[in-house]
Amino acid sequence: MIEGNLLKFNYYRFTCLEDLLKFLYENPDSKLLAGGTDLIVQMRSKKIKPDKIVDISRVSELRYIEEDKDSIKIGALTTIEELKNSVIIKKWAPPLWTAVKDFATWQVRNIATIGGNICNASPAADTAPPLIVLRSKLRLRDLKGQRLVKVEEFFKGPGETIIKDGEVLTEVVIPKYEEGWRFSFIKLGKRVSHILSIVNVAVGLKRAEGKIQDIIVALGSVAPTPIRSRSVEEYLKDREATYENIDRASLEVVKDIKPISDVRASAEYRVEMSKVLVRRALRECLTS
Amino acid sequence: MSSITLLESQKDEYSILDQWIKAKEFVYVGRGINRIDALDKVLGRSKYVEDYLVEGLTFARIVKSNIPHGILESINPGKASQHPDFITLVTSKDIPGLNQVGYYIPDQPALAEKKVRFHGEPVALVVSSKPKSAEELRELVEVVIKPIRAVFDPLEALKDEVLVHEENRSNVVLKTRVRKGDSSRALQESDYVVEGTYKTGYQDHAYLETEGALAIPSDGGMTVILPGQYPHLAQAIISRVLGVSQSKVRIIQPVIGGGFGGKDDMEPIVGAQAAIAAYKIRRPVLLTYSREDSFTSHCKRDPAIIKYRSGASRDGRLTVVDVDIIFDAGAYANRGPFTLWRATVHATGPYEVPNVDVRGMLVYTNKVYQGSFRGFGNPQIQFAAERQMDELAERIGIDPLEFRLKNILKPGSKISTNQVLEDSVGIADALIKVAERCSWADKRKAYGKIVDGKARGLGLACAWHGISTSRGVPDWCNAYLNVAKDGSITIYTGVVEMGQGTHTGLLQIAAEILGVPFEKINLIGGTSDAPDTGATHGSRGASFGGISVAIAATKIRRRVQKVASRILGCSLEDVELKDGWVYNRHKPEMRITWEEAVKRCYAEGEDMAATGYFYMPKGKFDEEKGQGFAYIVFSYMVVAVEVEIDVETGLTRVVKVWPAICAGRIINPRLATTQIHGAVLQGIGYTLTEEVKLEDGRIINPNFTDYLVPTIADLPEIEEPIFVEDLFRFGPFGAKGLAEMALIPIPAAITNAIKHALGIGPSEIPCSSEKLFLEMSKAMKKTRS
Repeated sequence: MIEGNLLKFNYYRFTCLEDLLKFLYENPDSKLLAGGTDLIVQMRSKKIKPDKIVDISRVSELRYIEEDKDSIKIGALTTIEELKNSVIIKKWAPPLWTAVKDFATWQVRNIATIGGNICNASPAADTAPPLIVLRSKLRLRDLKGQRLVKVEEFFKGPGETIIKDGEVLTEVVIPKYEEGWRFSFIKLGKRVSHILSIVNVAVGLKRAEGKIQDIIVALGSVAPTPIRSRSVEEYLKDREATYENIDRASLEVVKDIKPISDVRASAEYRVEMSKVLVRRALRECLTS
Repeated sequence: MSSITLLESQKDEYSILDQWIKAKEFVYVGRGINRIDALDKVLGRSKYVEDYLVEGLTFARIVKSNIPHGILESINPGKASQHPDFITLVTSKDIPGLNQVGYYIPDQPALAEKKVRFHGEPVALVVSSKPKSAEELRELVEVVIKPIRAVFDPLEALKDEVLVHEENRSNVVLKTRVRKGDSSRALQESDYVVEGTYKTGYQDHAYLETEGALAIPSDGGMTVILPGQYPHLAQAIISRVLGVSQSKVRIIQPVIGGGFGGKDDMEPIVGAQAAIAAYKIRRPVLLTYSREDSFTSHCKRDPAIIKYRSGASRDGRLTVVDVDIIFDAGAYANRGPFTLWRATVHATGPYEVPNVDVRGMLVYTNKVYQGSFRGFGNPQIQFAAERQMDELAERIGIDPLEFRLKNILKPGSKISTNQVLEDSVGIADALIKVAERCSWADKRKAYGKIVDGKARGLGLACAWHGISTSRGVPDWCNAYLNVAKDGSITIYTGVVEMGQGTHTGLLQIAAEILGVPFEKINLIGGTSDAPDTGATHGSRGASFGGISVAIAATKIRRRVQKVASRILGCSLEDVELKDGWVYNRHKPEMRITWEEAVKRCYAEGEDMAATGYFYMPKGKFDEEKGQGFAYIVFSYMVVAVEVEIDVETGLTRVVKVWPAICAGRIINPRLATTQIHGAVLQGIGYTLTEEVKLEDGRIINPNFTDYLVPTIADLPEIEEPIFVEDLFRFGPFGAKGLAEMALIPIPAAITNAIKHALGIGPSEIPCSSEKLFLEMSKAMKKTRS
């Protein structure tokens, strides 16, 4: 039994995925510790009181960035700083690279992991909208097997995901995009840097012969989960790729968002900023 | 009316200060010498309060009220007493002396008794044998408080339906007033009158190191190691709560991780709390505040509501300033009476105004109390005064710079209290130089329009700040200087080093006067072992601390000169001290070393120890008439600020800042510049992002995730400061105070720049991007309809 600040819990540590999965099978009530930048904060503020902490930070087989013919694969324990420094990410996941470039502080980036950022399921998580527009999938494993789920289907609510007892997020799979796609990511906070997003937006847009052939728009911090804005997408699909169309389309975002007022911003401001950020992110794809 | 009283007993001291103000060439003064504590800090060798490990050490945490206003029914250890690390629970019943830590008005307990008055008020201390479990133990303590109706809004509090201190029968702590001329007539007769209501919020000091104190019981008394700003005040308050004489309480200064005024107020209180616990268990107690404790339970910059009316004539002369100021005291009076008085006197801004009426009110509410914070009541009022100057200039149709220059204080001007400023008024010069440097005329023409969704604006603001205590409130300083037989020197001063670099400046002054290398002098600061030097607050560390070092060093210098003149066979005046040599200024080859001179002084019966007591001359203020002597001297500041606003989001970026300061002689320009940088950044936070959010009196953002202090990425380009050295006759080498100055005009300068950029002048700070956005939307709707 470890007696830490405020809480008592059992602490377990694994270095090998197989052992980890076995343990989780038998102890489904465990809470996983990767970088700890969210978990420890939540424990201190007593939002969660886990009995069993399983430290997975040394499961080194889950820490990699690989590239094959069709996709990019990121081990769940890859740190944000490692993503930032990766030429593969910069080339094949441009909106994710933009998001991690300005992610929190250097100290946090060095221990926070991509798996942690996703599994924490904050509506404001900066990696989520880029992963959604990149049509990424998450590999979830348990002792019995594995499944691949779309990122946009992974979140259920603030702090809630579809992950089942005994399951671990092991890998993020990002398909390589085809020729003609453009991406962008924009966040708005209350100061220039080191800041949580009031709204964040990622856009992927494919142009062909002056028209928007395909488009995907995702936002964070404006609903209980990161979301796609189908209304904006539908408005723009197969339309002329003009600023006028984009400006009109960005107003459609209000149909898809349900922001709340909190300590960071009012719902009203978030609605207005969603329109602005969607427009800017779309325009960026058009000009880049 | 505003004349000062000089003391016969201080004649020598006046002549010493006069001697050095006339000096023209310097070896150490005016040089950008590196801080003496820099290397230790960089190497992690500095010892903060938590680094003192003493035998038998125990660890304490405060137990806090979770109710904003209530009757304290019971406190007992509950399950905490079963914990193996539990040592004791300390409540008000354990206080051997007086349960009273109020600063000016005795209204504040060290630990709440009978009643709690704000959410976060310390009601007890829990003491543990281990540092970590102290945190856990306090969760187990059972505190029963019966809630009663609370009041949070100072305007609501004025109705006195809920009394924060029922024995007072009113929530008004006190009223202040300054009057000059006939303001109601002038308001009627002025060509232009502008009215505005301005609001400012709390600001947390957000120092890197939170509050803490280590109390060690000693023979019949207590030694307390604490990162405070006034060792002798901590000594007095701790002796009061322990019921022992002051001489039995010893205060030692660790390295401090930031003060900004907050630790001036807090450390006597935190030290008293630790001492009460140590007294009870007869063991050393280290009490530390967690970051959350610091947010919820330590004093903050006073929120203010200011209703401001000012008038001018067609030709741009200020005719009248008429102001109502309400300062929200929170639950305790603390420094409120003094911050409010300061705001009242400074309400006109640094301008000559013939008719003035300023009415101040300090009001209790059930919230965390206000306290000292860089600027001390002045940033609030200069925000209102300087926003108002721009609004008035616009109404008259005159350039804001020209309007200011027409009314700016000069030597011979009469301030709001009718005190005449005799000398050391350099602000007109500073204003002209800043305007030149920032290309005021060109940029005011070029900016103020939206280009690619961004609007640029250039704003200007002035500030003035009275140095030393106000009115006739006594203010003095002292130091003790001893020369050892080997010629090395030790200085004891109460002045505290809390990151501002003052100790380095004091060494420069001593080295200059004694003509010895810097390295020969050792300085021991911030301890009650030194003579009472007053607090290191109000920009007085270098200015006041420096006076005493200069006086003590000059006394020694004169004794050395006397002995050396006999050896060198020249007159006393011809003996020069420089670079470790004592020589005849006309025949420099006639010389002895400093060490030899000291040896001869010892042999020939000269006292090689001296004190540097100085009593700052004071005048009289007539509270009834609201007129008279306010402050011995003022420092002045001018800043121009360029902002860029994203008009679609309201996000405001401060792009560039041009500072100018009139603080008399600059002892160390490098330290002065870093002080200005720090103050600018702290001012940017105060103006734009730092917001203490409350729900029913509870602070809901007690963390750095949501209380947003600017980061280094928010640092704008800051031009080299312009130093206007308007020497002060009672300052060391003519120095005045500096550390607070650059923060004071920042809120107005930024918001004036926003006004220039957008045509919308914020009247409330912090002015977040959201607030600005909503104001812009409102203005746009207005134009459309």
